[in-house]
Formats: sequence, C-alpha cells, structure tokens
Amino acid sequence: MSVDPPEPTGLKYTGPKHTGPKHTGRVRVTSPLASAPRHVSRSVSQEIDESTGVGEVYMRSLIRSQLRAALTVLTTLLLSIGMLPVVFLTVDASTSTRILGVPLPWILLGVLVYPFLCVIGWLYVRQAERAERDFSDLVETSADSQRGPDPRAP
Amino acid sequence: MNTSYGILAITVVALATLGIGAFGLRVSRTTSDFYVASRSVSPVWNSSAIGGEYLSAASFLGVAGLVLANGADMLWYPIGWTAGYLLLLAFVAAPLRRSGAYTIPDFAQLRLGSIAVRRVASVLVVAIGWLYLMPQFQGAGLTMRTVTGAPGWVGTVLVAAIVVVNVVSGGMRSITFVQAFQYWLKLTALLVPVFFLLHAWTDDGRPSPVAPEDWFSPFTATDPTGLYLTYSVLAATFLGTMGLPHVVVRFYTNPDGHAARRTTLIVLGLLGIFYLLPTIYGVLGRIYASDLIAEGRTDAVVLELPSRMLGGGTGEVLAAMLTAGAFAAFLSTSSGLTMSVAGVIGQGLARGRLGGVAAFRIAALGCILVPVALALSAERIPVANSVTFAFALAASTFCPLLVLGVWWRGLTDTGAIAGLIGGGLCAGVAPVLTISMRPDGWFGVLMSQPALWSVPVGFALMVSVSWATRHRAPSNVARTMVRLHTPERVDVDRRS
Repeated sequence: MSVDPPEPTGLKYTGPKHTGPKHTGRVRVTSPLASAPRHVSRSVSQEIDESTGVGEVYMRSLIRSQLRAALTVLTTLLLSIGMLPVVFLTVDASTSTRILGVPLPWILLGVLVYPFLCVIGWLYVRQAERAERDFSDLVETSADSQRGPDPRAP
Repeated sequence: MNTSYGILAITVVALATLGIGAFGLRVSRTTSDFYVASRSVSPVWNSSAIGGEYLSAASFLGVAGLVLANGADMLWYPIGWTAGYLLLLAFVAAPLRRSGAYTIPDFAQLRLGSIAVRRVASVLVVAIGWLYLMPQFQGAGLTMRTVTGAPGWVGTVLVAAIVVVNVVSGGMRSITFVQAFQYWLKLTALLVPVFFLLHAWTDDGRPSPVAPEDWFSPFTATDPTGLYLTYSVLAATFLGTMGLPHVVVRFYTNPDGHAARRTTLIVLGLLGIFYLLPTIYGVLGRIYASDLIAEGRTDAVVLELPSRMLGGGTGEVLAAMLTAGAFAAFLSTSSGLTMSVAGVIGQGLARGRLGGVAAFRIAALGCILVPVALALSAERIPVANSVTFAFALAASTFCPLLVLGVWWRGLTDTGAIAGLIGGGLCAGVAPVLTISMRPDGWFGVLMSQPALWSVPVGFALMVSVSWATRHRAPSNVARTMVRLHTPERVDVDRRS
C-alpha cells in the first residue's frame, strides 16, 4: 500500500471501523487520497466532456464572450443605421446637404453603408476567432500539462 | 427591344445552367452529395454560390423599380438584405454549421429533441419557400413578356421547368456550381451596362431626375406611417435573412464553423458590391423611363433602359445581357429555394419506403407546383415588396428559434412551438389580408409590413412559454451547447 508522504491531511487510521470480532489481525493503514478518485491533473476537455462544474465554467465563459461580440454587432447596427431614419426626420441639414450635387442620404444609404457593414463584419470575425483561439489554447495547454510528469499516470 | 437577342440570351443562360448542372451530376452520388455537397465546398465557391442564390429577382429588377417609383426611401431594402447577413454572421453562422444538421427542422430536433418542433418547423420552411418562390416566378413571366412579348405564363413555366430538371438531376453539388456561376453572371450583367448608360447620360448633359421633393429625400413629411414602414422593413430584412431556408442550408456545405464565418464575411463583400448598382438604374430610370410608373411596370426598368438610352446595336446587346442576368436571378434563387423546400419534404418522405434520393426527387417536383399555381393566379405586386412578406415570416419564426436555440439554454420544445406558431400566424395572416382585402388606415399599414410587431410576438412567446415550461428543457442541453460553440480543433465529446 502506498502512502503519500507530503500530504498535510496526514495519515488516517482506518482500523477501528473494521475491527469487529472477526478482525483482530493486521491493521490496514492508508491515506484516503490513495483510494479516493484522482482529482488533480484533469484536462479541460475532460472537464467539459464530463459536464463538471469546472467544464461548465469554461463553456459558459466561451459562450458569454461570443454572445457579447454578437450583441456588440447588433448594438452598433442599431445605433448607426438604425438611427438614420430618425436623424433624417429630425435634422433638416442631413437631407438638404448635397455633396457633388448628390443629396447626402443617397450617398449614405446608397454607397457608404456597404463598406461600413463589411468593416463591422471583419472586426466581428477577428474578435470571435480570437475568443475561440484563446479557448482552444486553454484546453490544449491543460491537455499538455496533463501529459507531463505525473507519477501516477499509467 | 430586339426579340431575337433576348431569346438568345435566355437560351444561353438556360443551357449554361443545365450544362453546369450536368457537370455536377457526374460527381453527385450519395444522399449527402444531394443535400449538402458532402460538406466540402470552399469559402470562395460557397460565398459566390450564396451571393448567386440570394440575389433574386427582387434585387436584380425590384430594387431599381422601387427606387424609380418611390426614391430614397427604397434604399433601405438592399441595406436590410445586406445587414441581415451581418447579423446572420454574428449570431448563427458558426454554431449553425457546428450543429451538423442539414436543415432548420434538423436543427430544431437536434437542439430540443422533439419531433413536434421538427414538424412545425418543416411546415414553416415550406410556407416561407412558397412565399418567396411566387414572386420569382411572377418576375420571370414579366421579363419574358418584356423581352419577347410572349404571354406571362411562358416565362413562369420555363423557369420552373429548368429548376426542376436541374434540382432533380444534380442536387446541391451541381447547384453550388450553378449558383457561383450565376453570381458572377449577375454582377457582370448589371455592371457592364452601367458604364455605357452613365456615358450616354454624360453625353446627354447629365440631366437631373425630375421628381417631387419627397422622392429625393427620405421622410420629408413628418409622417409616422413612413417611419413605421421603414423600421418594419429593417426589422424584417435584418432578422429574416438568417431564417430563410435557402440561405441556412448553405451553411451546412461549409467544412467547419471557421469556414462558415469566412464564407459569410466574403458574402457581405459580394453583396455590398452588387447593391451599389441597382440604385444607379433606378435614378437613371427616373430620368429616362418615368412613364413605366404609370404603366405599373417599374420592375422592367432595368431591362428597358439600354434600348431607351442607347438604342441601336449596343442597346440591344446590353439589353440581352441584362435579360440574361435577370434569368440567372430567377433560376438561382428558385433553384436554391426548391432545393431547401424539397430537402425538408424529402426527409419527411424518406422515413417511409422511399430511398433518400428518390424521396428528394419526388419532393422537388411536387413542391414547385404550388408556387407556380400561385404565381399564375395571384395579382401582381412589386417583387421587392412581396419578398418582404417571406422575410417577415422568417424573422418572426426562425430568427427567434435560431437565436434562442443557439444562445439560451432555457429554450424548451413547448416554447419553441408556441413562438413558431404565434409568430408565424401573425406574419402569415398579414400578407393574406393585404393581398385579399387591401385594408386602409393604420390597420392596413400594420398589415402591409408586419415584422416590427410580429417579431417581438415570436420572441416573447418563445421566451415566456419556455420559462413557464422550464422543467421540459432538454437534459442534454449542456452537451448540445458544447457542440454548437466549441471550435472543431478542440477535442471534446460532441455527441448529443
């Protein structure tokens, strides 16, 4: 029986429980940690696979960061293109201004909106892929460290 | 317009479509090939195909017609159709691909584990598909009449026949080639004539359009109905794009979630380039073809401008080119829609004795007959307006289902069904009332563009009923979330 010397929880004498009338011989001395399920050096992907509390935390943080990026896109759209009708309705200068003879609304709605949408899309994809890269780095790093020197690894 | 050039253009597009379809046929063998091209289409091919499929008659002909008739207010339509892709990218593109399902009903079943949700979603896919197909077929009839003088039903039946042959013979793989080809055809067909038309306009001394003041600027009068209609169009198009069946099915052909995002980003660029053009046609149409408004044929402005402004051989060749582009628009959108509707019906049929491919072929044939009949019998309304009904229906049903399904663990099957049916009824009854009764006043305004109130109804029903039945939330929701959101290169268990 192996005993883990550095454990501060100390040794536990498990004898008395079993010392009924039948057991009077040798007493088994063991650390609870030797027979307890291993709780260290589990990879994040295992945590996720087993839907443990830790795995849930990782998943929720990934989903939350992705949702935040998506909501940022929505908010940006609402505050920019979504506000244009109101601006056109209330600010006279916005509809009467002409650039090179073309009314401003036609330039905004007919031309400038499209590159604007592409730029938001590009920024979003960059953000979403960064979040995914961080997540997979985290999972893979933990998987690597598990493969490191672990005396009890099979 | 010279009839023989026009007929030649239509013949070339039809033959090219069938030819590329036949090329795809040689490599299309299994059921997976049929539905999603075995998920091996690269982002550039796939985004061209999405662009080709998405730019329908409404974009190619309808936007210019609306701008000609109504001016600046109509620029919101193409903006909404593009911004819809941005929201699709942000909220559903990658998770939808990672779900690994073929269609929206598949997604619903996978996420909620309920056959009932699947059935309701299937019915809605068919309804949206038909609502979107009908104006495409009507537009084909109008184009045929403008070009050749043939009665309207000829174009409708011709397009329907080509679509059926193509879809039935090749399935999605050949459709992907066809669609990608048709995006570039449509862009070229619209872009090249613009240079000639602008040149002619410059030679003419750059006349300004003659129009009332409210044509030039959005909302000159403080009219609350105008504001409501604009926001309702924005709501329908922003949120409806992600729920259109022929758009969603494209995401399953991406190899992974990363590719799905890149594809969508390229699509944004392709759409942005394309939508710069119809406005130019609309404005030039106001100068040179404003009599079309009185005739009620504003959708024909794109086709008629070259012969009116240039005349002669150049005008005829350019008109033939635009006709080819318009036919490409009908063919590609109708093919994509027929694919996705037939995919959903075919999967239902395949549960019986039929094999997957046979079921798909029968479904494709069957599901095109109804919109053809509708197109031939229903009254014509401008094509860009009538596709908005399909957008509103998608925005009120599938948008809540997808967004809540992807991001909210609390969604239950009962909640999803309540939202799909409630939102679907609101957005589905409105076009029926508008077309059949033409109600007046505020009620008529609310019915003509229902999205601004029917989308909140769909979301509210889905959230509140899910919350009331939260004990029914599927037990495997955590595993499904892992599958939807983790990048493919992370090695985790994705079974649901």
